[in-house]
Amino acid sequence: MKYSNPQIPEGINTSKQHPLKEFFMLTAGVLGLIVAAVLLLGFFADKLAHHIPFEVEQRIASKELLAESDPGPMQGYLEALTEQIVKAQSLPEEMTITVHYVDDDTVNAFATLGGHVYMFRGLLEKLPNENALVMVLAHEIAHVKHRHPIRSLGRGVVIGLALSMLSGTMGDKMADQIVSNTGLVTSLTFSRDQERESDKTALKTLMALYGNVVGADQLFEVLQEAEGAMKLPEFFSTHPLSEKRIQHIHAFGRELAHSTTEAQATPLPLDFPDWLNLAADDQGHE
Amino acid sequence: MIDLIILVTLLALGYGFGSYAESRHYKSIIARENTLRHIPAVTSRFPPMNEGSRDAALVSGSVVVSVDYFKRFIATLRNLVGGRVTSYESLVDRARREAILRMKAEAEKLHADIVFNVKLETSSIHKGRGNSIGSVEVLAYGTALKTDQ
Repeated sequence: MKYSNPQIPEGINTSKQHPLKEFFMLTAGVLGLIVAAVLLLGFFADKLAHHIPFEVEQRIASKELLAESDPGPMQGYLEALTEQIVKAQSLPEEMTITVHYVDDDTVNAFATLGGHVYMFRGLLEKLPNENALVMVLAHEIAHVKHRHPIRSLGRGVVIGLALSMLSGTMGDKMADQIVSNTGLVTSLTFSRDQERESDKTALKTLMALYGNVVGADQLFEVLQEAEGAMKLPEFFSTHPLSEKRIQHIHAFGRELAHSTTEAQATPLPLDFPDWLNLAADDQGHE
Repeated sequence: MIDLIILVTLLALGYGFGSYAESRHYKSIIARENTLRHIPAVTSRFPPMNEGSRDAALVSGSVVVSVDYFKRFIATLRNLVGGRVTSYESLVDRARREAILRMKAEAEKLHADIVFNVKLETSSIHKGRGNSIGSVEVLAYGTALKTDQ
């Protein structure tokens, strides 16, 4: 028996495909799948969460957040405005709005489960007139009206669960992060849609209450200023860009043939600055 | 955002160094395979019967090759959709051939003419990091034989 050792041709046990080509195809395919899955899951979770009764929402709302606000002139003023807005938006009867004035520097306002709306002193200080204040309040109440808090929660749970199941199967930490970040960034589109919906409802409310939408754009100018240099591309944010929101308001104003500059804004009550400071003094701030 | 930059940097480094090392390794493998071609390595369990044997010795060669970040990333994505893990194929191919070459180099030192009963063993070195395989070890061993011509 004679043994020979011929040269074996290359490429039998390896693939000739260029690794970069495989990389781009795989990445695009996997990320595309994740985006599609998140959008699909988010869509259905959103639709289902809408059917959860408001009463259930009130029951699961976090108890720590719900502490009664100190009654004061500011709280009273906000409550009076809330009542008007609730009427203007014709909220269903079981949907109760509880407004809370929070004595804090944060430039923010938010609505959460169970119809609780939080208004921070930091934002109220910066508002130029009542219309802008009503725009904020109406926007947050519109979130409740459209059931946004519970829908976000339902969507978040479903998408989070799906992503964690997927990332559990990945060996690599980095790849894992890419998967979950892609999912999260995708799910922000829902959040931006909600903001747009609330903006629209809030503008209609302004229209119903004042007969114009003056002041609405001033609110977003204030917000834009507060954002400062910390500006992310819209793709990565929970809210649409302030510029775009201002543009929408102007478009809305034109549609109604009410130029936003013609009508006069309703000023804030004369005592408003005192109410802000009064509440601050009570707490011993500044 | 910073995550993305880190990831792209790691991928670029992995791809750059990985493909450079791989092409260099392949060149060296092919060159050495040609120089050691005169020593056949066969898997038969018994020595060639028709030739009187004089001397036998165990020869072995082992190699550990690590996967680069780029290859691992591709393989991770492959885990989700299935299919040929082409990024690991060339890695394992190199490791196998290198191990046989090192075994043959040892046989050449002993002035052997043939290595029979060649076996290959592989193990993955992942240091308890679950299914993320870091490096692969290939061990080739066999019996080197000096024969009377």
